[in-house]
Amino acid sequence: MFETLFKPQSIAVVGASRNPGKIGYTILMNLKMTGFNGKIFPVNRNESEILGLKCYPSLSDIGEKVDIAVLALPVKYIPELVSECKDIGTGYVIIISGGFSETGGAGKEMEEQLARIIYGSGTRIIGPNTVGVYFPYNRVNTALTPPDRVLFPPEGKIAFISQSGALGLLAMDSISEYGVGISAFINLGNMIDLNDLELLDYFGKDEKTGSVVVYIESVSSGKLFFEKIREINRIKPVVVLKSGRTQSSAMAASLHTGAMATNDAILNGALLQAGATRAYDETELLDYGRVLAYSKPLRGKNIAVVTTAGGIGVITSDYISSKHHGIGLSLARLKESTKDAIKKIIVPFGSAENPIDLTADGSTSDYKKILPILLDDPGVDGIIIYALPQTPKMDVSIVDVIQEYANGIKPLVVGVIGSKMGRDIIIELERRKIPAFPSIQRTVKAVKVLYDYGTYMKRRL
Amino acid sequence: MKINEYLIKAKNGILDESTIKEMLGSFGVKVPKGVLVENYPQKINLKYPLVLKVSDPEVLHKSDVGGVRLGIKNSMELRKEFKAMKNRFPDSKFIIETMEKEGLEIIVGAINDRDFGLAIMLGMGGIYTELYGDVAFRLIPIDGLDAEEMIGSVSINRFVEGFRGIKVNKEKLKNLLLKISEIAYNIGERLNQLDLNPVIATEDDLVVVDAKLSLK
Repeated sequence: MFETLFKPQSIAVVGASRNPGKIGYTILMNLKMTGFNGKIFPVNRNESEILGLKCYPSLSDIGEKVDIAVLALPVKYIPELVSECKDIGTGYVIIISGGFSETGGAGKEMEEQLARIIYGSGTRIIGPNTVGVYFPYNRVNTALTPPDRVLFPPEGKIAFISQSGALGLLAMDSISEYGVGISAFINLGNMIDLNDLELLDYFGKDEKTGSVVVYIESVSSGKLFFEKIREINRIKPVVVLKSGRTQSSAMAASLHTGAMATNDAILNGALLQAGATRAYDETELLDYGRVLAYSKPLRGKNIAVVTTAGGIGVITSDYISSKHHGIGLSLARLKESTKDAIKKIIVPFGSAENPIDLTADGSTSDYKKILPILLDDPGVDGIIIYALPQTPKMDVSIVDVIQEYANGIKPLVVGVIGSKMGRDIIIELERRKIPAFPSIQRTVKAVKVLYDYGTYMKRRL
Repeated sequence: MKINEYLIKAKNGILDESTIKEMLGSFGVKVPKGVLVENYPQKINLKYPLVLKVSDPEVLHKSDVGGVRLGIKNSMELRKEFKAMKNRFPDSKFIIETMEKEGLEIIVGAINDRDFGLAIMLGMGGIYTELYGDVAFRLIPIDGLDAEEMIGSVSINRFVEGFRGIKVNKEKLKNLLLKISEIAYNIGERLNQLDLNPVIATEDDLVVVDAKLSLK
């Protein structure tokens, strides 16, 4: 299923251009820059060569198998092009062009026409009104954002399905700051053919995918969507960001996609019932996708905190325990023997009580001794570790220490604050697929997500 | 009786309260002891205080039009109130039922959402539901865990342990949610809305005091 989409041997760009202001140029550029190593066929009647690639006057003139055809021409040419794609046996047609159902009745009719053209054939449509796909593992990038403006994430474990193109591209750009990777990105646009349910099925089985994050503006069939999420969430955690929660934002969404918003309270109940994680913005969407992809779920609500900065430990404790501005879990009560063992490691004015404060004297080797002691305490279900760059005894080698204990049954979530060595630490942790977050709040919220998913799974399975 | 035999009595898609309660009762949902009458009954085997209500699918919002009398203490009062109500609704039938003791008023409902299909709702009764959005929805059918999680997510949960002398029986509330899910599931796509409002919850039991049902 979807083999030719995710691992294409050849991609045609119809409307390819040598003019850097045109979308047909950017798409070609992105395909080349991302390093797609299959065949690229630019299609443009008036050119013989673009960006060093031989250009064809039409799809039929290529005379070879085309796995994916990207259509970047105005809407009036699209039906004829889709027919041509079908005739030459193209697997997937990505229709970048807008001007379909999002603009009204005539566009809607055009979509129905496209659906009729491919009906019964092996050709599938992605879009229309899409920014395309980005598959880092196979170097496929049909995005229409100029590569000098944004970054594309490296290979990773998060599958990202987005109804909005811009939000998807920008969120990917943002996470690239820390080298957060994805397994695939796909923008479904107006979704006249290939849909989110099929992709959920695919990513549920995809070995490279550890979690699936979905941004949606409308739910076309809530019941089916719910059933699919419930099914897949048990195999791979699913995170959903749904826009249009309120009446006024629902109005904006319906102008945007031509679909009515659904009742948010029912959606919320359905997601809880499915055990899916709900995100409320793009940061949460990717943070939650990341922690769920990298960590085992929490099996209890008792969290230990280790820090070299007292204030950060206390704020974290507040967030853990409080229901308002907090996640309503518990600070683990450590056994006396645990505390005694920790006391022997830390300085006398440090704290062996949870939150454990090593103070400015805390070193990476102290962490190396403390982590196994905490993990052995049956009262600890998970640990928040702060890897903070402000003191001389702490450096990027903390990552090696954390990695040693990161794959056990009790999850470790790392909090890092700072923009220089702090950033380096996060990037290094990310490279090793250990969940790390650049703020107290984001760290604690990630822990809550592991708890909710763990609770759901424990109760249902 | 099968569920269809109740639903067939709907007029313009609305089922009268007495039929709904009979249907609920057949699924084991507790409703007040009562009788449906057209004229003042010769004899009543119900304990006072009583409630007198008009039962007519055409009168949906009974209390707005003087179709409900609560706390009737004796037969003299009942006779007087019945006469007045009969004058107001000469062509209707009437429910006379026992008045439930006080408890926590909650709402249990089912709706047929355009996008999600059948969904069940649990919320605190009265004005607070709307004020605080203190409700939980789940798609139908639900299981026992769904029911427990619904209860856990609304403020009714605070009364499960007891709060200011008011306590709610969690097991029975869970059972009620499962039964309403089952009933709505059986009605299926024809269901438009089912409203049990209020349901009086106490430490011992849950009783559906008023019920409305509309079909598509």
